[in-house]
Amino acid sequence: MSESSASSRSRTRQYQRPRRLISWFGVVLGVSFGIVGGLLLAWSQPVQEYDTAPWQLTAADRSAYMVAIALRYDSDGDVGRAVQQLIDLRLPGDPIEQMAVAACELATTGYVDNASGLHAVRAMMRFYQAQGRSGCADQVISVDDPASTTIVDIQAPTSTPTLPPPDTKTPTPDGGIGGTPTPNILVIPTSPPQTDFTFVNAATFCDSTRSGLIEVYVYDVNGATGIPGQAVRARWDGGESTFFSGLKPERGTAYADFQMSENLSYILDMPGRADPLAQPLVAVTCTTAEGQRAVIGYRVTFRALE
Amino acid sequence: MKRFLISFFAALVIGLVIGLYLGWVPFPVQYVDSPARDLAQRYQDDYTVMIAAGYRVDLDLTGAVERLRVLGVENVAQHVQEVAERYITTSRDVAEIQLLVVLAEGMGRLTPMMEPFRPVMLPGQGS
Repeated sequence: MSESSASSRSRTRQYQRPRRLISWFGVVLGVSFGIVGGLLLAWSQPVQEYDTAPWQLTAADRSAYMVAIALRYDSDGDVGRAVQQLIDLRLPGDPIEQMAVAACELATTGYVDNASGLHAVRAMMRFYQAQGRSGCADQVISVDDPASTTIVDIQAPTSTPTLPPPDTKTPTPDGGIGGTPTPNILVIPTSPPQTDFTFVNAATFCDSTRSGLIEVYVYDVNGATGIPGQAVRARWDGGESTFFSGLKPERGTAYADFQMSENLSYILDMPGRADPLAQPLVAVTCTTAEGQRAVIGYRVTFRALE
Repeated sequence: MKRFLISFFAALVIGLVIGLYLGWVPFPVQYVDSPARDLAQRYQDDYTVMIAAGYRVDLDLTGAVERLRVLGVENVAQHVQEVAERYITTSRDVAEIQLLVVLAEGMGRLTPMMEPFRPVMLPGQGS
């Protein structure tokens, strides 16, 4: 009797207990699925990129950013800002060391084929060398910016049209491979290897008889004695040509020339001997004193340093 | 069962909102290998100032134009002019404005607004 009474009381209490409105199991399960679903939804939505920071850039663009940092450092000498900007790039390891690595990569590629690139890499070198670092760029190029990168004051546009260029007026000496021997054998006088050359100046002229001609003069250190047999290189969009001084003795041993195509831009240098000119030589049209139309010509002088 | 389903779906909605918030605000997708043209404007401006600083040293206009092309701007000179004028109108650092003005002038984009920020050449200074 007493057992049956207790059981009955217990059952009554069970039904009298208020029912919970919430199923905690359902809540936990729902929230879990919801958060996972929400995250998946948020991360899978097509994202319009904005507010990209420098550290998110491609390797090439990060490298360009490092060049910019070095250029600014070269201008104002603010090491603190430069280092902070490098840190912001979130480079692995020592950020200054990474600058040396980037300079090394640039110095071993075509990036330094023009004066702008050379100047940029030198700015990077000055930065990391001042912080006691070194890199392979130190072996490839000198940190000192020689006078050969003096700015040329040429008033010409910088467009780079893509017309095919003609051959040079003065062919490169290729040892007469193939071809029929010509009666006029031109002996190129040789000279002992010279030290580096420096760009001295560039002047323009407008002459219908020498339309679009780059006249190059290569002189000894005294600035008067021509040096024959020196290679001068002209590069344009999609090609290059090397020509030599002294191939036209009637114009002097210092003289070499190259025929430009109208509207093309040319970078001139002495490969391995003198840095490229800071600005391209552009074959724009001009009007001669006689009123004739011609392509502008350039007279460029290089001189041995010592 | 009804109680469970109501709780589950109510919690699912709340969880979804929390998940979206977490995925968009504290832990958003961060892209790497982005091109420089996607840089935030302030970084693009910084970059332009840095290139202008380099130009002040070497006066290499071709180099400056080539470096700014990285930003993917259609008209580099126009971009420099806009940045310079924005710096002026927002009263940014005068030294940076001067750098931009020198570059803008080099690109033939000197506007009357920039005139007061042109560097003054004193007698006996350079050419």
